[in-house]
Amino acid sequence: MWAEIMSEKITFKELVEKIAEQSQQSYSSTNNFIQELVEIIESGLSESGSVKISGFGKFELRWMKERPGINPQTGEEITIPGQNKVVFKPYKALRQKVNKPYSKMSAQILEGELQAQKKPSEEDESLEDILIERESPIQSHTDSVKDDEKPLALDNQANLTKEVDKSSSMKWSYAAAAIIVLLAFMIMIFLMQQPSEQPSEPALSEQTEQHEELDSPVTDTEEDPAAAADQTEDAPADAPPPPADEEAVPDEDSPQELELISHNVSPGESLWTIAESQLGNPYLWPLIYYLNQDLLDNPNQLFADGNLEIPTISDPENLTDFEQEQVALGYFSLYQWAQTNAPDEARYFLWAVGAFSLDLLEERASEVDAEDLQFATQR
Amino acid sequence: MKKKQLIDKLSEETGMSKTRTEEMLSNTKNALTDTLSDGKGVSIPDLGTFSTKTNEVRKIYNPHHEAYMMVPPKRIVEFSPSSGLKEKLKFVGRDNE
Repeated sequence: MWAEIMSEKITFKELVEKIAEQSQQSYSSTNNFIQELVEIIESGLSESGSVKISGFGKFELRWMKERPGINPQTGEEITIPGQNKVVFKPYKALRQKVNKPYSKMSAQILEGELQAQKKPSEEDESLEDILIERESPIQSHTDSVKDDEKPLALDNQANLTKEVDKSSSMKWSYAAAAIIVLLAFMIMIFLMQQPSEQPSEPALSEQTEQHEELDSPVTDTEEDPAAAADQTEDAPADAPPPPADEEAVPDEDSPQELELISHNVSPGESLWTIAESQLGNPYLWPLIYYLNQDLLDNPNQLFADGNLEIPTISDPENLTDFEQEQVALGYFSLYQWAQTNAPDEARYFLWAVGAFSLDLLEERASEVDAEDLQFATQR
Repeated sequence: MKKKQLIDKLSEETGMSKTRTEEMLSNTKNALTDTLSDGKGVSIPDLGTFSTKTNEVRKIYNPHHEAYMMVPPKRIVEFSPSSGLKEKLKFVGRDNE
């Protein structure tokens, strides 16, 4: 363990000796071989921007856009010019071998912390409450079903049963949607006001109040199944975006590519308004940012008369997994942008990454600030 | 670049046979993989430094299980390119910038 903390290294000489011995070659010819390999990697990167070495990993050039910075010696503001970064991505075999000491460990569920750690304002919990409350009108309904004065409730029973069946799979999509909207709302406040204070606390507590209001009428309606049915019908609609209908489950055979159309920016438009008018959901604006990163350095600045690539989203209320991942990537690039330009806001973008795609958040965990990650994984 | 092309080019440059080249390449990959698997790093002149980093245990909320989970530590490979390589490739493919 200490070896890793010290990040112990072997010398290049030791490496060459090892290879030479295995290959039964002289030191100098092995050394020469590695030099040639390095040269091929370099020329490959220079010609095509990527070199793949099967069974090992991939070297790649990644373009880093021009960005503002501060000269640490003089404190003066400078512009860091755009430049390529050389990255290496290990392939699975290498990743697994390197991670071998920990490969047998798997994620552990922390039972005791389940309830204690959940904040009352958590949307998923409130939704869970709603869904549990949904079931009670059905049960109490059997008592009053002979009462013919309540045909409305009878009609609703069938729908409710269906919905409760689906609730386990849909519960998280409701929760995710609610979280996303709340977050995007917070981000918009940040972006519009550029505040010195922290508006997230008031925003959160407002949300808590809303949910308390939402919960209490549902709880009160147990004696009246008809009213309860009405309430539960309304309840999911309050959690934006509302589920369209029974076919609300994302398509399994989703396309793995976004169809792009070109959009000419007119004066007064923002990514937000374009996402609203073109994609049907303003909260998807990071997707446009992500697809046009080479043109948009600052997401808050759009140049009129430029052309943007706009994806076509079939159903903005029900994104496919792939589309969700793309939006998450958009939030991730916003996070990276915010890290240098608005460090206080960065973590909210990272949080949104997780809201759209937890897989992506986990995948990029090594690239993000530990504190931000902790914030982003609290949900 | 495919593996075959890589080997063709390497054998051309080094004057070794293709079989030999393939063996050397595979030994090089193995030596690097073994070194990194031992948690050790190595610098290759003109290319850069390979090293490993261990991500500590962290706690996440898993929405599927609706529970907090402990994510085990993970050891990952890090690569930092040599300054020479970085300089040479800095503006490649972006001549107009």
